[in-house]
Amino acid sequence: MKHTLPGIIGAAMIVLAGCSSKSAVSTGDQTGAAGAGSTTTTTTAPVSGPVLGDIFFDFDSSALNTESQEQLKQNATWMQNNASRSVTIEGHCDERGTDEYNIALGERRANSAKEYLQTLGISASRLSTVSYGEERPFDPSHNEEAWAKNRRDHFVNK
Amino acid sequence: MRTLTTFLTIMRISKISFAGLSLVLFCLLLMPFRLQAEEAREYIAIRKQGSGRISIALDRTSAKGGKEIEWARSLDGTIRSGLDFTGLFNLMQAPVNMKNAQTGALNFGSLNSVGAEIYTGGSLIKVGNMTRLDMEVYDAMSGKQLLKKQYTGPETQLRSMGLQFCADLVELLTGKKCLLFNSKIVFVSTRSGFKEIYECDFDGQNLMQLTNSRTITLTPALSQDGRYLAWTDYAGGRPDLYIRNLQTKSTVALGKPGVSIDPSWRNGTNEVATTLSFEGDQEIYLVRPNGTISRRLTFSRGIDVSPSFSPDGARMAFVSQRSGMPQVFVQDVQGGAARRLTFSGSYNTQPSWSPAGDKIAYSSLQKNGEINIFVINADGSGLLQLTRGAKDNESPSWSPDGNMIVFMSNRQGRKKLFVMNADGTNQRSLLQIDGEQQQPSWSTLK
Repeated sequence: MKHTLPGIIGAAMIVLAGCSSKSAVSTGDQTGAAGAGSTTTTTTAPVSGPVLGDIFFDFDSSALNTESQEQLKQNATWMQNNASRSVTIEGHCDERGTDEYNIALGERRANSAKEYLQTLGISASRLSTVSYGEERPFDPSHNEEAWAKNRRDHFVNK
Repeated sequence: MRTLTTFLTIMRISKISFAGLSLVLFCLLLMPFRLQAEEAREYIAIRKQGSGRISIALDRTSAKGGKEIEWARSLDGTIRSGLDFTGLFNLMQAPVNMKNAQTGALNFGSLNSVGAEIYTGGSLIKVGNMTRLDMEVYDAMSGKQLLKKQYTGPETQLRSMGLQFCADLVELLTGKKCLLFNSKIVFVSTRSGFKEIYECDFDGQNLMQLTNSRTITLTPALSQDGRYLAWTDYAGGRPDLYIRNLQTKSTVALGKPGVSIDPSWRNGTNEVATTLSFEGDQEIYLVRPNGTISRRLTFSRGIDVSPSFSPDGARMAFVSQRSGMPQVFVQDVQGGAARRLTFSGSYNTQPSWSPAGDKIAYSSLQKNGEINIFVINADGSGLLQLTRGAKDNESPSWSPDGNMIVFMSNRQGRKKLFVMNADGTNQRSLLQIDGEQQQPSWSTLK
C-alpha cells in the first residue's frame, strides 16, 4: 500500500529519464563548441535538444576537469536565463567497478556539479541530485569509448 | 547405557528437525526413528583419516502403485541432486544384485566390489492422505546400520522430506549440522524487464518474485531469522532503503534525503546497516526494522559502503575510499579504529564475512580488467584467489555452512548466478532463467 504513490512517481521518472537521456547526450561533442548551448537558450519555445550538456569524469573520480567546468558555466547560464526551471543532476558511472560502490560514486559526481553550479550563483533549491550508479549507461557497449561516455553527469530540466 | 544413548540421539534429531520444515517436524515427532549413534561416530572417526568424497550407493526408493512409483522417482531425484549439490559425495547407482529378491537382505559384498562406502535405500507408501518415507543407511564395509528414519508428510512436501533426509545424512557422515537444505538465496533479476528481487532455494528451485516496483531494485538481504527483507529501491525516484516484514507483508521506506546503498543485517540483532548520505557525506548507519535510524557507525570523509558483519555481530567489514582507492576495512561495531584488510590490488569491494568468522570473501577489479573473487583471513593473512580468466565475478556470498559461495559471473556473456566450493573448485551455474541475475545473498531461514 505504501508502495503505490512512490511507485507511480517512480514509473513517471523512468519515462522522463529515459527520454531525456536519449536526446541530451548527443552533446557528446563536449569539445567546447561553446555557442551551441547558449544560442538555444534564447528561444522561448519548449526546450528540446542539448540545452544542458553532460559533463564527463575520469575512472573512479568525481573531480571536475576544465572541460566540465566550462560546460557547467554554460549550464549555469541556461539556468539563469530560465529562472523558473529546476534541474535534476543525474550521476552515472561506467560498468567497471562494482554496483554498490558506483551508486556512491555517482552521487559524488552529481554533488560535484551541484556545488559548482552553486558557486556560479544557482540556488540549491533549483538543483536536485540522483545517483544511478552503473544502472543507466548511455552506451551499453563494453569498451573504453562507451565507458568514457557513461562516466557522466546528465542534466534533466523540469 | 544404550537407553541413554538413544535418548540423547532423539534429542539431537529433534534439534535438526526444528531447523526443518514444521510439517515434517510435526510428523516426525509422532513417528518412531532410530539412529545408531555409536556406529556413526565410529564411521566419522574412520573417515577423518581418509579424504576426498564419500562414495554412496543410492538405491531406488521402492514403491507400489502408479502414483507412489512416480513420487518415489521424484524423491530419488531430489535426494540425488541434493546430495550431489554438497560436493561431498561420489554418488553411484546401487548394483542390481544388491538385494536378495526373496528376503530383501542386503549383499554388502556386491557394494564393496563397486567401491561403495555407504548404502542408502528406502521405501515410500501412502498412508491415508499422507506419504511415508522409510530410509535406511548402512556402512557398506561393516554392514552396520547407521540410520533408520521415517519421514511423513503430504505429497506436496515430498521435496522437503527428501531434503530432510539429505540433511540427516550429511550430519551423520560429517558430524556437522547441515544448514544448506533449508537455505534461500535472494538476488536481483531483470527477468520481468525491470530489476526486481527474487528468491530461490539453495539449488535454484522454487523461484519467487518478491518485489514489483517496476523501477530499479537492488542488493536484497534477508535478516538472520528470515523475518525481514531489506533492499535498495528507486520507487521513490532515488535509491532508498526499504524493509519488508515478510510475515505481515508491511513495507517501510527510510525516506531520508540522499542515497541508501547496499543494506546488510547485523548478526545477532534485528538491525540493518546501510550507507546513507543525508548528513552530507556517505556513511554507514544502523537502522531498525521500523525504518528509524539506530546509530552511525563510520566517521570518515569519502565513500563508506557495503557492510558485512562477523557471525557474532561484533565486527564489521566494509569498503572505504579513505586510503584513496576502494579497499576493505574492518572495525569494531562498538567503536575503535578501522583497520585496513586488503592491500593487494587497487580496487577491492563487496566483502562477505564467512559464517565461521575466519574468512572474508570480496571482489577485486584487476589490472587486466577482470573482476575476480578472493578470500582472505579476517586477520589479513592467507589471501586466495578463487576465480580467474572468466571475465567479471562479483558479489560473493557464503552458504550458511560456509562450504560454498554463490556469486555473479558474466563468463558466458550475460550476468548469471554461479556457485563454487569455498576453495574455488567446482564452479557451476546455479539457475537458468531469462534475463540477467546478480547480487545474490545466501541466507538461512531458521
